[in-house]
Amino acid sequence: MASILTVLFNGVAYGFLLFVMSVGLSVTLGMMNFVNLAQASFSMLGGYILVTAMQSHGLPFLVCLPIVFVLVGAVSVIVERLIFRHFYKTDDLTQVLLTIGLVFMSIAMATYFWGGSYQRFDMPSWIIGQKEIFGLTLETYRIFLVGFGAVMAVALIFGLERTQLGAMVRACVDNRRVAGACGLNTELIFAFTFAIGGGLAGLGGALSANLLGLDPNFPLRYLVYILIVVSVGGMGTITGTLIAALTLGIADVLGKYYFPQFGSFIIYLLTVAFMLWRPHGLLGRGA
Amino acid sequence: MSVMEPAPAAVSQSGHDYFATLARWKIWEILFWAALAGCYFVPEMDRMLMSRVIIWGLFAMSLDILLGYRGIPSLGHAVFFGTGAYVAGFCGKYGWSEPISALFFAMAVAAALGWLTGKLVQRVAGVGLLMVTLGLNLILFDFVLRSTDLTGGDDGLQGIVIAPVLNMFRFDIYGRTAFWYALVVSFILFIATRILVNSPFGLALIGARENPRRMITLGAPVEGDVSRAFMIAAAIAGAAGALLTQTTQTVAPPTLSFQRSADVLVILIIGGAGRLYGGFIGAIVFILLQDYLSSISPVYWYFWIGLLLVVIVSFFRKGLLPSLDALLQRFIKRKPDAPS
Amino acid sequence: MKTALSILTAATLATVSAQGALAQETVKIGVLQSYSGMTSLGGQQTDFAIKTFMQKYGETPGGFKLQLIRRDTTGPNPEVAKRLVGEVVTREKVQLLIGPDFTPNTLAAAPILTEAKVPSFVTGAATTGIVGEKSPYSTRTFFATPQLCKPLAPYAVKQGWTKIFVVVADFAPGHECEKFFVEALKEANGTLVGNLRTPLSNPEYSGYIQRIRDAKPDGVFIFMPLGELSIGIVRAINDSGLKASGLKIMGTGDITDEGYIDAVGEAAVGVITSGIYSTQHDSALNKEFVKSYTAVAGEKNRIGWSAVSAWDAMRLTYDALDAQKGQKFDGEKFAAFLRGHKIESPRGPITIDKSNGDIIQNVYIRRAERVNGVLQNIEIETFKDVSFK
Repeated sequence: MASILTVLFNGVAYGFLLFVMSVGLSVTLGMMNFVNLAQASFSMLGGYILVTAMQSHGLPFLVCLPIVFVLVGAVSVIVERLIFRHFYKTDDLTQVLLTIGLVFMSIAMATYFWGGSYQRFDMPSWIIGQKEIFGLTLETYRIFLVGFGAVMAVALIFGLERTQLGAMVRACVDNRRVAGACGLNTELIFAFTFAIGGGLAGLGGALSANLLGLDPNFPLRYLVYILIVVSVGGMGTITGTLIAALTLGIADVLGKYYFPQFGSFIIYLLTVAFMLWRPHGLLGRGA
Repeated sequence: MSVMEPAPAAVSQSGHDYFATLARWKIWEILFWAALAGCYFVPEMDRMLMSRVIIWGLFAMSLDILLGYRGIPSLGHAVFFGTGAYVAGFCGKYGWSEPISALFFAMAVAAALGWLTGKLVQRVAGVGLLMVTLGLNLILFDFVLRSTDLTGGDDGLQGIVIAPVLNMFRFDIYGRTAFWYALVVSFILFIATRILVNSPFGLALIGARENPRRMITLGAPVEGDVSRAFMIAAAIAGAAGALLTQTTQTVAPPTLSFQRSADVLVILIIGGAGRLYGGFIGAIVFILLQDYLSSISPVYWYFWIGLLLVVIVSFFRKGLLPSLDALLQRFIKRKPDAPS
Repeated sequence: MKTALSILTAATLATVSAQGALAQETVKIGVLQSYSGMTSLGGQQTDFAIKTFMQKYGETPGGFKLQLIRRDTTGPNPEVAKRLVGEVVTREKVQLLIGPDFTPNTLAAAPILTEAKVPSFVTGAATTGIVGEKSPYSTRTFFATPQLCKPLAPYAVKQGWTKIFVVVADFAPGHECEKFFVEALKEANGTLVGNLRTPLSNPEYSGYIQRIRDAKPDGVFIFMPLGELSIGIVRAINDSGLKASGLKIMGTGDITDEGYIDAVGEAAVGVITSGIYSTQHDSALNKEFVKSYTAVAGEKNRIGWSAVSAWDAMRLTYDALDAQKGQKFDGEKFAAFLRGHKIESPRGPITIDKSNGDIIQNVYIRRAERVNGVLQNIEIETFKDVSFK
């Protein structure tokens, strides 16, 4: 019994890991309708900023997280102003090509600045090891991840999705000219949303890099997972992304425990089944 | 999806004349193929590299049938390429070493798989379609990689023997046979595809791309066309895969990786979708530059290839071929092809 | 451009001097390694090792001038590797090859190298039987899977860790290693209490780790390819608390490879591995090697097995070229000279097998520890002259 509950908890924790990794893309793709694969590069940048701040400047882990959010958010706005804003009106495939090009460039740049090898993370002692909760031995970092992810999800759903800001962003995406005519500063709203999406991606990278390992190929290794979570959840819904991440996370861990011979099949099969069942994602609004 | 060429404008002429105009070969088309063949005679030319370019071109053209003509994006096109490659590999391993018949067999198997895939996804569109094809690609890749006993797994299929083409031309290390074999097979398949897309069937595909609802009211079998388009595209992708196996006598999991599916999409979009030649142009640019960049800067060539993509989408929005075409139209006043 | 110019100048000079009495023949060496992507550390180490070696022992062994031609294999990708081998052999006319790396690439290259009679060094592929009959001109300076996967079984049983759980990556090398380890475990009268094959793209281990916990083994034997997997699994076992509760973590040297061990961090301490080379190996030659390599590559780039394999390939090349001094370069003689050749390597003595060019070498059991704050592999037991079979 105890082992089932531990496995279940680990599944939830993995689900939240997938959630923090994908939520950045969920914001830009879902709310702004911009296919930005370079979100995975922003995640990598977040990881590298965390390493540099912690290892070279000795800053505490919890102080680093807001720094990562702000810095990566700032970088993503710069990229948005310089490059992305010229591509809002192009079709999906052009955006894919543009951003995959940026991903390639980011890989080479990370190799140049930080070297090709994996980074070392010396996490603070309060966050490593295990804790006894209700008779279960759980990993402290996973507990932290679940807590952090849950807070983030609530904040995003109520702070971004169901507020006036959310409505303004959707208005700008749906009809930019009318939104502008209604007195909305569309440029500012786009840049702001982009900053949030980028910052979240950076945060996701910082939180996951410790578990997943960080090297210049980080974006290519995890892009597929991010895409799967966001599309299964459905475009334009952070709640959907959360549900998809948890479902896939739990299914993956349970599958590996009960049917280890199936390997990664379970998560891929689920993806195909979900997408055939609901082509616009679990909570997607449809075209 | 507006990367594609718009459908041919309505013309006030008889259907027969219309299709005859489409079918007419243009001078630059003949020049293009002549130039490709001419590569063989350039001294110091890396013929293995050129046959690789041709094979990638054919592969990208097969995706063009789906994306450019029917408007179906696929993130799993390597499934069919890899199926063709592995079928040709199995043939060579278990004694069916005659290449041309094995190529047909590989095409048939890939076509069957394509038809099934088409049936599976015919009601799905957009993101759903992308993710289903991606998922199928990942499942097949995982399967091949893990089945060491069946496929050799990571090491690839061993012991592939390919007999000389027509019992006369052996596949040598200088890539002489490989070049001609890849070029001739690709050219024949190109002609077949060209006839197909310029036929009423091709026009129906474009119609369904532009306005499926209207096509249905016209009584056109839109859903059935999806599986047919998939079948044809898969057959040609399978042929490209088989060509790769036969010209290199190796086949390994990278032939059906997700990376390959992404690469072929990139190549097609670089070249320009909906034109048949876009895939070939894209392959020439992408593969040759990739080879050149990785030899001058083995460590950082990713940067340059990424920059190339960014530059191409920035300055050639619709891909190289359509953009250059538009440029040409603007500078040279030439007579329109079709009488109006 | 500069290099092209200098090659041109060198070529002109060579022609000029050929007209004189002393001809200096250029030997072109193709270096085919992965320089990009997930496996780029191998290529980087190879380059550093070659550079260090040439600085130390000069650039004209046996009076031959060496010219290196590098190409990126991009990882295990036989189609690319085969084309690159074909290209450097037919167009660049290389006479020697260091690489290609990885088993699939090596297998794909073999027919071309045999047809063109170009000797090659296998510096990054471990599968058994890939040198020998099919490639009479190949010499392995890396290791063969059984050398690494067998010795830990008798060692573990001797320590009293008899119930072993085996975890391998689910691909051909993993399957091969699993086979050799399980065989050796049976021979040593140990018990296999469970085994798992985990996917090659796998960010999450907790489901698997619960299975290990349920089986209650004394030790776990791990084989994972270098990179996210080799780092991830050791960290995951550590984070789950299994290591703290006394489970012994064992594996091939990949899980504590010097290039990646810093990323494994504290989790690596106490991990037992089998390996062919550690920077801590106690010999005068190794100390010298570590010093000069570090001077070239810097402290940050630690020395892994690719470096030492490339170094030995250079040692063998220099020996064989010295033997051809004053003659025209002959690939067949070159390969034949190496058969049965014995050298002192930074890892210890190695012998190239007389009949098939495979490697015979010492295998060390090591424990990962902190030495002056840096994670190192300390050799604690030596299996002498281990065969490649």
